[in-house]
Amino acid sequence: MNRPAIGGRLKEFQQSEVERILGACTRCGKCYEVCPMAQYAKPPSENGRSVVPGVLAVLRGEAGSPEALGWIAVCTRSGVCVPACPENVDPKMMMRLARMTALGGRGQPAQIESKQDRDYFDRIRAFARLQLSDDELKDWT
Amino acid sequence: MSQPFTERVTFWYGCNVLRHGDIIHSCLDILRALGFEPAAVGGPDYCCGSVKDANQGTAGGMATRTVGKLNQRAAPVVAWCPSCHSHMHDFMERANDRHFDITYLVDLLHANRAKLAPLLAQPVPMRVIVHQHVGFNELVPVNRMVPELLRLIPGVDVAEAGYTAPGYMCASFAALPKAMDDINNNTVRAAKAAGADAVVTMFHQCYRELVGLDAAGAVPVYNYIQLIARSMGLPYTDDYKAWKRAGMIGPDGIAKVGIEFYERAIVPELKKRPNLR
Repeated sequence: MNRPAIGGRLKEFQQSEVERILGACTRCGKCYEVCPMAQYAKPPSENGRSVVPGVLAVLRGEAGSPEALGWIAVCTRSGVCVPACPENVDPKMMMRLARMTALGGRGQPAQIESKQDRDYFDRIRAFARLQLSDDELKDWT
Repeated sequence: MSQPFTERVTFWYGCNVLRHGDIIHSCLDILRALGFEPAAVGGPDYCCGSVKDANQGTAGGMATRTVGKLNQRAAPVVAWCPSCHSHMHDFMERANDRHFDITYLVDLLHANRAKLAPLLAQPVPMRVIVHQHVGFNELVPVNRMVPELLRLIPGVDVAEAGYTAPGYMCASFAALPKAMDDINNNTVRAAKAAGADAVVTMFHQCYRELVGLDAAGAVPVYNYIQLIARSMGLPYTDDYKAWKRAGMIGPDGIAKVGIEFYERAIVPELKKRPNLR
Protein backbone atom coordinates (compact mmCIF):
# COMPACT_ATOMS: atom_id res chain seq x y z
CA MET A 1 0.00 0.00 0.00
CA ASN A 2 1.35 3.43 -0.92
CA ARG A 3 1.54 5.75 2.06
CA PRO A 4 0.85 9.41 1.31
CA ALA A 5 3.87 11.66 1.70
CA ILE A 6 4.09 13.44 5.04
CA GLY A 7 2.26 16.73 4.65
CA GLY A 8 0.77 15.62 1.34
CA ARG A 9 -2.81 16.11 2.50
CA LEU A 10 -2.00 19.63 3.63
CA LYS A 11 -0.73 20.43 0.13
CA GLU A 12 -3.89 18.95 -1.39
CA PHE A 13 -6.11 20.96 0.97
CA GLN A 14 -4.23 24.17 0.26
CA GLN A 15 -4.43 23.64 -3.50
CA SER A 16 -8.18 22.98 -3.32
CA GLU A 17 -8.61 26.20 -1.34
CA VAL A 18 -6.53 28.12 -3.88
CA GLU A 19 -8.73 26.84 -6.71
CA ARG A 20 -11.91 27.66 -4.79
CA ILE A 21 -10.71 31.20 -4.05
CA LEU A 22 -9.56 31.84 -7.62
CA GLY A 23 -12.97 30.73 -8.85
CA ALA A 24 -15.01 32.72 -6.33
CA CYS A 25 -13.24 36.08 -5.99
CA THR A 26 -14.73 38.89 -8.09
CA ARG A 27 -11.83 41.30 -7.37
CA CYS A 28 -14.20 43.85 -5.83
CA GLY A 29 -11.48 44.93 -3.37
CA LYS A 30 -13.71 45.18 -0.29
CA CYS A 31 -11.31 42.96 1.69
CA TYR A 32 -8.54 45.50 1.17
CA GLU A 33 -10.74 48.49 1.88
CA VAL A 34 -11.75 47.25 5.36
CA CYS A 35 -8.30 45.90 6.30
CA PRO A 36 -6.86 47.70 9.35
CA MET A 37 -3.36 46.73 8.23
CA ALA A 38 -3.55 48.22 4.72
CA GLN A 39 -2.33 51.54 6.14
CA TYR A 40 1.00 49.87 6.92
CA ALA A 41 1.46 48.32 3.46
CA LYS A 42 4.34 49.57 1.32
CA PRO A 43 3.67 50.81 -1.26
CA PRO A 44 0.18 51.88 -0.17
CA SER A 45 -2.81 51.84 -2.47
CA GLU A 46 -6.09 53.72 -2.36
CA ASN A 47 -7.92 51.15 -4.43
CA GLY A 48 -8.54 47.55 -3.38
CA ARG A 49 -9.59 46.65 -6.91
CA SER A 50 -6.07 47.30 -8.10
CA VAL A 51 -4.47 45.29 -5.27
CA VAL A 52 -6.50 42.07 -5.16
CA PRO A 53 -5.60 40.88 -8.71
CA GLY A 54 -1.95 40.86 -7.60
CA VAL A 55 -2.85 38.65 -4.64
CA LEU A 56 -4.63 36.21 -6.95
CA ALA A 57 -1.58 36.22 -9.23
CA VAL A 58 0.55 35.11 -6.29
CA LEU A 59 -1.91 32.28 -5.63
CA ARG A 60 -1.55 31.20 -9.27
CA GLY A 61 2.21 31.06 -8.77
CA GLU A 62 2.82 34.22 -10.76
CA ALA A 63 4.59 37.44 -9.77
CA GLY A 64 2.53 39.67 -7.53
CA SER A 65 2.32 43.43 -7.97
CA PRO A 66 4.33 45.54 -5.48
CA GLU A 67 1.06 46.73 -3.91
CA ALA A 68 -0.20 43.15 -3.47
CA LEU A 69 3.11 41.93 -2.02
CA GLY A 70 3.18 44.92 0.33
CA TRP A 71 -0.28 44.06 1.60
CA ILE A 72 0.49 40.34 1.92
CA ALA A 73 3.59 41.19 3.96
CA VAL A 74 1.58 43.06 6.61
CA CYS A 75 -1.36 40.66 6.95
CA THR A 76 -1.67 39.71 10.63
CA ARG A 77 -4.99 37.79 10.36
CA SER A 78 -7.31 40.52 11.59
CA GLY A 79 -10.16 38.73 9.81
CA VAL A 80 -12.18 41.91 9.30
CA CYS A 81 -12.16 41.01 5.61
CA VAL A 82 -14.19 37.83 6.14
CA PRO A 83 -17.63 39.36 6.82
CA ALA A 84 -16.90 42.19 4.34
CA CYS A 85 -16.58 39.79 1.43
CA PRO A 86 -19.85 39.67 -0.56
CA GLU A 87 -18.91 36.32 -2.13
CA ASN A 88 -17.93 34.42 1.04
CA VAL A 89 -14.47 33.87 -0.38
CA ASP A 90 -12.82 33.87 3.07
CA PRO A 91 -10.21 36.52 2.27
CA LYS A 92 -8.35 35.67 5.49
CA MET A 93 -7.63 32.24 4.02
CA MET A 94 -6.81 33.90 0.68
CA MET A 95 -4.23 36.13 2.35
CA ARG A 96 -2.81 33.32 4.47
CA LEU A 97 -2.25 31.12 1.42
CA ALA A 98 -0.89 34.10 -0.52
CA ARG A 99 1.56 34.78 2.29
CA MET A 100 2.72 31.14 2.40
CA THR A 101 3.16 31.24 -1.39
CA ALA A 102 4.92 34.61 -1.46
CA LEU A 103 7.32 33.43 1.24
CA GLY A 104 8.25 30.49 -1.00
CA GLY A 105 6.56 28.03 1.33
CA ARG A 106 4.47 26.27 -1.33
CA GLY A 107 7.26 25.52 -3.76
CA GLN A 108 7.29 28.71 -5.82
CA PRO A 109 10.15 31.25 -5.65
CA ALA A 110 9.94 33.61 -2.69
CA GLN A 111 8.61 37.09 -3.45
CA ILE A 112 8.68 38.60 0.04
CA GLU A 113 11.34 38.37 2.70
CA SER A 114 11.11 35.66 5.31
CA LYS A 115 12.52 36.72 8.66
CA GLN A 116 14.04 33.51 9.92
CA ASP A 117 14.82 33.35 13.64
CA ARG A 118 17.46 30.65 13.94
CA ASP A 119 17.09 30.66 17.72
CA TYR A 120 13.27 30.37 17.77
CA PHE A 121 12.93 26.83 19.14
CA ASP A 122 16.18 26.89 21.13
CA ARG A 123 14.95 30.04 22.90
CA ILE A 124 11.74 28.24 23.84
CA ARG A 125 13.75 25.28 25.15
CA ALA A 126 15.96 27.65 27.15
CA PHE A 127 13.01 29.34 28.83
CA ALA A 128 11.55 25.90 29.55
CA ARG A 129 14.76 24.85 31.30
CA LEU A 130 14.54 28.00 33.42
CA GLN A 131 10.98 27.42 34.61
CA LEU A 132 10.06 23.74 34.47
CA SER A 133 11.33 20.93 36.66
CA ASP A 134 13.24 18.02 35.15
CA ASP A 135 10.14 15.83 35.44
CA GLU A 136 7.97 18.46 33.78
CA LEU A 137 10.48 18.85 30.98
CA LYS A 138 10.46 15.09 30.47
CA ASP A 139 6.69 14.61 30.65
CA TRP A 140 5.34 17.81 29.09
CA THR A 141 7.58 18.55 26.12
CA MET B 1 -11.23 19.37 50.27
CA SER B 2 -10.41 19.09 46.58
CA GLN B 3 -13.03 17.86 44.18
CA PRO B 4 -12.75 14.36 42.71
CA PHE B 5 -11.31 14.34 39.21
CA THR B 6 -14.10 13.91 36.71
CA GLU B 7 -12.60 14.36 33.27
CA ARG B 8 -9.16 13.67 31.86
CA VAL B 9 -8.06 16.39 29.42
CA THR B 10 -4.92 17.18 27.46
CA PHE B 11 -3.79 20.75 28.14
CA TRP B 12 -2.06 21.71 24.87
CA TYR B 13 -0.23 24.84 25.91
CA GLY B 14 1.70 25.46 22.68
CA CYS B 15 5.35 26.43 22.71
CA ASN B 16 6.08 30.12 23.26
CA VAL B 17 4.18 30.21 26.56
CA LEU B 18 7.14 28.31 27.99
CA ARG B 19 8.50 31.80 28.70
CA HIS B 20 5.77 32.04 31.32
CA GLY B 21 5.95 29.01 33.57
CA ASP B 22 3.63 30.70 36.07
CA ILE B 23 0.87 30.82 33.44
CA ILE B 24 1.22 27.11 32.58
CA HIS B 25 1.32 26.06 36.24
CA SER B 26 -1.63 28.31 37.10
CA CYS B 27 -3.72 26.96 34.21
CA LEU B 28 -3.13 23.41 35.41
CA ASP B 29 -4.13 24.28 38.98
CA ILE B 30 -7.24 26.11 37.76
CA LEU B 31 -8.26 23.12 35.63
CA ARG B 32 -7.74 20.77 38.59
CA ALA B 33 -9.78 23.04 40.84
CA LEU B 34 -12.61 22.89 38.29
CA GLY B 35 -12.60 19.10 38.41
CA PHE B 36 -10.47 18.23 35.41
CA GLU B 37 -7.42 16.00 35.35
CA PRO B 38 -5.09 17.80 32.94
CA ALA B 39 -2.00 16.36 31.29
CA ALA B 40 0.21 19.14 29.95
CA VAL B 41 1.83 18.84 26.52
CA GLY B 42 3.64 21.40 24.42
CA GLY B 43 7.00 22.73 23.37
CA PRO B 44 8.61 22.26 19.96
CA ASP B 45 7.59 18.57 19.85
CA TYR B 46 3.91 19.60 19.87
CA CYS B 47 4.30 22.60 17.56
CA CYS B 48 1.29 23.25 15.33
CA GLY B 49 3.52 24.35 12.45
CA SER B 50 2.03 27.82 12.10
CA VAL B 51 5.48 29.36 12.45
CA LYS B 52 6.57 27.60 9.26
CA ASP B 53 4.63 29.60 6.68
CA ALA B 54 7.79 29.73 4.58
CA ASN B 55 8.10 25.93 4.47
CA GLN B 56 4.80 24.12 4.06
CA GLY B 57 6.50 20.74 3.69
CA THR B 58 7.83 21.09 7.22
CA ALA B 59 4.58 22.65 8.47
CA GLY B 60 2.59 19.73 7.08
CA GLY B 61 4.88 17.23 8.76
CA MET B 62 4.65 19.05 12.08
CA ALA B 63 0.86 19.19 11.85
CA THR B 64 0.61 15.47 11.09
CA ARG B 65 2.96 14.58 13.95
CA THR B 66 1.16 16.78 16.48
CA VAL B 67 -2.36 15.67 15.53
CA GLY B 68 -1.12 12.06 15.73
CA LYS B 69 0.36 12.57 19.19
CA LEU B 70 -2.81 14.27 20.42
CA ASN B 71 -4.89 11.43 18.91
CA GLN B 72 -2.80 8.91 20.86
CA ARG B 73 -3.62 10.62 24.13
CA ALA B 74 -7.32 9.82 23.58
CA ALA B 75 -8.59 12.72 25.68
CA PRO B 76 -10.32 16.01 24.90
CA VAL B 77 -7.83 18.78 24.20
CA VAL B 78 -7.91 22.18 25.88
CA ALA B 79 -5.82 24.63 23.85
CA TRP B 80 -4.09 27.62 25.39
CA CYS B 81 -2.44 29.23 22.39
CA PRO B 82 -4.60 31.19 19.92
CA SER B 83 -2.16 30.42 17.10
CA CYS B 84 -2.33 26.67 17.74
CA HIS B 85 -6.10 26.72 18.14
CA SER B 86 -6.76 28.67 14.96
CA HIS B 87 -4.15 26.69 13.01
CA MET B 88 -5.85 23.48 14.11
CA HIS B 89 -9.17 24.87 12.88
CA ASP B 90 -7.88 26.38 9.63
CA PHE B 91 -5.33 23.78 8.49
CA MET B 92 -4.33 20.91 10.78
CA GLU B 93 -7.72 19.24 11.08
CA ARG B 94 -8.44 19.84 7.39
CA ALA B 95 -5.44 17.75 6.40
CA ASN B 96 -5.30 15.20 9.20
CA ASP B 97 -7.81 12.93 10.94
CA ARG B 98 -8.53 14.50 14.31
CA HIS B 99 -9.95 11.98 16.79
CA PHE B 100 -10.33 14.25 19.81
CA ASP B 101 -12.63 17.07 20.81
CA ILE B 102 -10.93 20.40 21.19
CA THR B 103 -11.87 23.59 22.99
CA TYR B 104 -10.09 26.80 23.87
CA LEU B 105 -9.24 27.50 27.51
CA VAL B 106 -11.21 30.77 27.65
CA ASP B 107 -14.23 28.92 26.30
CA LEU B 108 -13.85 26.18 28.92
CA LEU B 109 -13.39 28.61 31.81
CA HIS B 110 -16.36 30.65 30.66
CA ALA B 111 -18.53 27.54 30.40
CA ASN B 112 -17.45 26.63 33.95
CA ARG B 113 -17.71 30.15 35.41
CA ALA B 114 -20.34 29.08 37.93
CA LYS B 115 -17.77 26.67 39.38
CA LEU B 116 -14.92 29.16 39.00
CA ALA B 117 -16.57 32.10 40.77
CA PRO B 118 -16.55 30.64 44.32
CA LEU B 119 -12.86 29.76 43.94
CA LEU B 120 -12.02 33.44 43.43
CA ALA B 121 -11.89 34.27 47.11
CA GLN B 122 -9.14 36.85 47.40
CA PRO B 123 -9.89 40.41 46.28
CA VAL B 124 -7.69 41.91 43.58
CA PRO B 125 -8.49 45.61 43.81
CA MET B 126 -7.62 46.91 40.37
CA ARG B 127 -9.28 48.90 37.59
CA VAL B 128 -8.19 47.38 34.29
CA ILE B 129 -8.68 47.54 30.58
CA VAL B 130 -8.49 44.34 28.54
CA HIS B 131 -6.12 44.42 25.59
CA GLN B 132 -8.03 43.00 22.64
CA HIS B 133 -7.53 42.34 18.94
CA VAL B 134 -10.05 42.20 16.13
CA GLY B 135 -8.88 38.73 15.01
CA PHE B 136 -9.47 35.31 16.65
CA ASN B 137 -12.63 36.68 18.25
CA GLU B 138 -14.67 35.16 15.40
CA LEU B 139 -13.40 31.70 16.39
CA VAL B 140 -13.79 32.16 20.15
CA PRO B 141 -15.55 35.32 21.41
CA VAL B 142 -12.71 36.15 23.77
CA ASN B 143 -13.35 39.91 23.65
CA ARG B 144 -16.62 39.27 25.51
CA MET B 145 -15.62 36.23 27.57
CA VAL B 146 -12.36 37.43 29.15
CA PRO B 147 -13.88 40.62 30.61
CA GLU B 148 -16.76 38.50 31.93
CA LEU B 149 -14.27 36.15 33.61
CA LEU B 150 -12.34 39.06 35.11
CA ARG B 151 -15.54 40.54 36.54
CA LEU B 152 -15.90 37.37 38.64
CA ILE B 153 -12.81 38.42 40.60
CA PRO B 154 -13.68 40.48 43.71
CA GLY B 155 -12.23 43.95 43.36
CA VAL B 156 -11.52 43.85 39.63
CA ASP B 157 -13.21 46.69 37.77
CA VAL B 158 -13.09 46.19 34.01
CA ALA B 159 -13.31 49.48 32.14
CA GLU B 160 -14.13 49.85 28.45
CA ALA B 161 -10.83 50.04 26.59
CA GLY B 162 -12.17 51.94 23.61
CA TYR B 163 -9.36 50.50 21.53
CA THR B 164 -9.09 47.24 19.62
CA ALA B 165 -5.76 46.40 18.02
CA PRO B 166 -5.52 45.00 14.49
CA GLY B 167 -4.33 41.45 13.87
CA TYR B 168 -5.06 38.56 16.21
CA MET B 169 -2.16 38.84 18.66
CA CYS B 170 0.87 41.05 19.18
CA ALA B 171 3.69 38.64 18.33
CA SER B 172 2.77 38.91 14.63
CA PHE B 173 3.88 42.53 14.81
CA ALA B 174 7.48 41.78 15.74
CA ALA B 175 8.41 42.31 12.11
CA LEU B 176 6.15 45.38 11.77
CA PRO B 177 7.69 47.90 14.20
CA LYS B 178 5.57 50.88 13.10
CA ALA B 179 2.36 48.95 13.71
CA MET B 180 3.67 47.60 17.05
CA ASP B 181 4.60 51.13 18.09
CA ASP B 182 1.02 52.18 17.35
CA ILE B 183 -0.37 49.29 19.43
CA ASN B 184 1.89 50.15 22.37
CA ASN B 185 1.06 53.84 22.27
CA ASN B 186 -2.68 53.34 21.71
CA THR B 187 -2.74 50.86 24.60
CA VAL B 188 -1.10 53.32 26.99
CA ARG B 189 -3.45 56.10 25.85
CA ALA B 190 -6.48 53.83 26.30
CA ALA B 191 -5.37 52.85 29.81
CA LYS B 192 -4.90 56.48 30.80
CA ALA B 193 -8.21 57.55 29.26
CA ALA B 194 -10.03 54.80 31.16
CA GLY B 195 -8.29 55.63 34.43
CA ALA B 196 -7.02 52.06 34.51
CA ASP B 197 -4.44 50.79 36.98
CA ALA B 198 -3.33 48.07 34.60
CA VAL B 199 -3.66 46.47 31.17
CA VAL B 200 -4.72 42.82 31.05
CA THR B 201 -3.82 40.63 28.08
CA MET B 202 -5.57 37.48 26.91
CA PHE B 203 -2.71 35.84 25.03
CA HIS B 204 0.87 35.19 26.12
CA GLN B 205 2.04 36.55 22.74
CA CYS B 206 0.55 39.92 23.68
CA TYR B 207 1.80 39.67 27.25
CA ARG B 208 5.36 39.08 26.05
CA GLU B 209 5.24 42.25 23.95
CA LEU B 210 3.20 44.52 26.24
CA VAL B 211 5.08 43.63 29.41
CA GLY B 212 7.66 45.96 27.91
CA LEU B 213 5.23 48.77 28.82
CA ASP B 214 5.43 47.55 32.41
CA ALA B 215 9.23 47.36 32.30
CA ALA B 216 9.36 50.88 30.86
CA GLY B 217 7.19 52.21 33.69
CA ALA B 218 4.30 53.18 31.40
CA VAL B 219 1.56 50.96 32.84
CA PRO B 220 1.44 47.65 34.77
CA VAL B 221 0.59 44.68 32.57
CA TYR B 222 -0.83 41.26 33.50
CA ASN B 223 -2.26 38.23 31.79
CA TYR B 224 -5.83 37.38 32.77
CA ILE B 225 -4.72 33.99 34.14
CA GLN B 226 -2.36 35.74 36.55
CA LEU B 227 -5.27 37.70 38.07
CA ILE B 228 -7.45 34.60 38.34
CA ALA B 229 -4.52 32.76 39.96
CA ARG B 230 -3.94 35.60 42.40
CA SER B 231 -7.58 35.59 43.43
CA MET B 232 -7.44 31.83 43.94
CA GLY B 233 -4.35 32.22 46.12
CA LEU B 234 -2.08 30.27 43.78
CA PRO B 235 1.59 30.79 44.65
CA TYR B 236 3.32 31.23 41.30
CA THR B 237 5.61 34.16 40.59
CA ASP B 238 6.02 35.89 37.26
CA ASP B 239 9.70 35.27 36.53
CA TYR B 240 9.44 36.65 33.01
CA LYS B 241 8.23 40.05 34.22
CA ALA B 242 11.06 40.17 36.77
CA TRP B 243 13.62 39.32 34.08
CA LYS B 244 12.10 41.84 31.71
CA ARG B 245 12.16 44.61 34.33
CA ALA B 246 15.78 43.81 35.19
CA GLY B 247 16.78 43.31 31.55
CA MET B 248 18.60 40.17 32.62
CA ILE B 249 18.29 36.81 34.33
CA GLY B 250 20.36 35.74 37.33
CA PRO B 251 23.66 33.83 37.21
CA ASP B 252 22.02 30.45 37.90
CA GLY B 253 19.71 30.93 34.94
CA ILE B 254 22.56 32.04 32.71
CA ALA B 255 24.47 28.91 33.69
CA LYS B 256 21.46 26.78 32.69
CA VAL B 257 21.10 28.25 29.20
CA GLY B 258 24.78 28.99 28.51
CA ILE B 259 26.38 32.42 28.40
CA GLU B 260 26.84 32.57 24.62
CA PHE B 261 23.21 31.68 23.88
CA TYR B 262 22.00 33.98 26.66
CA GLU B 263 23.83 36.98 25.26
CA ARG B 264 22.82 36.28 21.67
CA ALA B 265 19.21 35.14 22.01
CA ILE B 266 17.85 36.10 25.44
CA VAL B 267 19.33 39.48 26.35
CA PRO B 268 17.98 41.36 23.29
CA GLU B 269 14.45 40.19 24.11
CA LEU B 270 14.71 41.15 27.79
CA LYS B 271 16.19 44.57 27.03
CA LYS B 272 13.72 45.43 24.27
CA ARG B 273 11.54 48.39 25.24
CA PRO B 274 8.58 50.00 23.48
CA ASN B 275 9.03 53.13 21.45
CA LEU B 276 6.67 55.44 23.35
CA ARG B 277 5.70 58.77 21.84
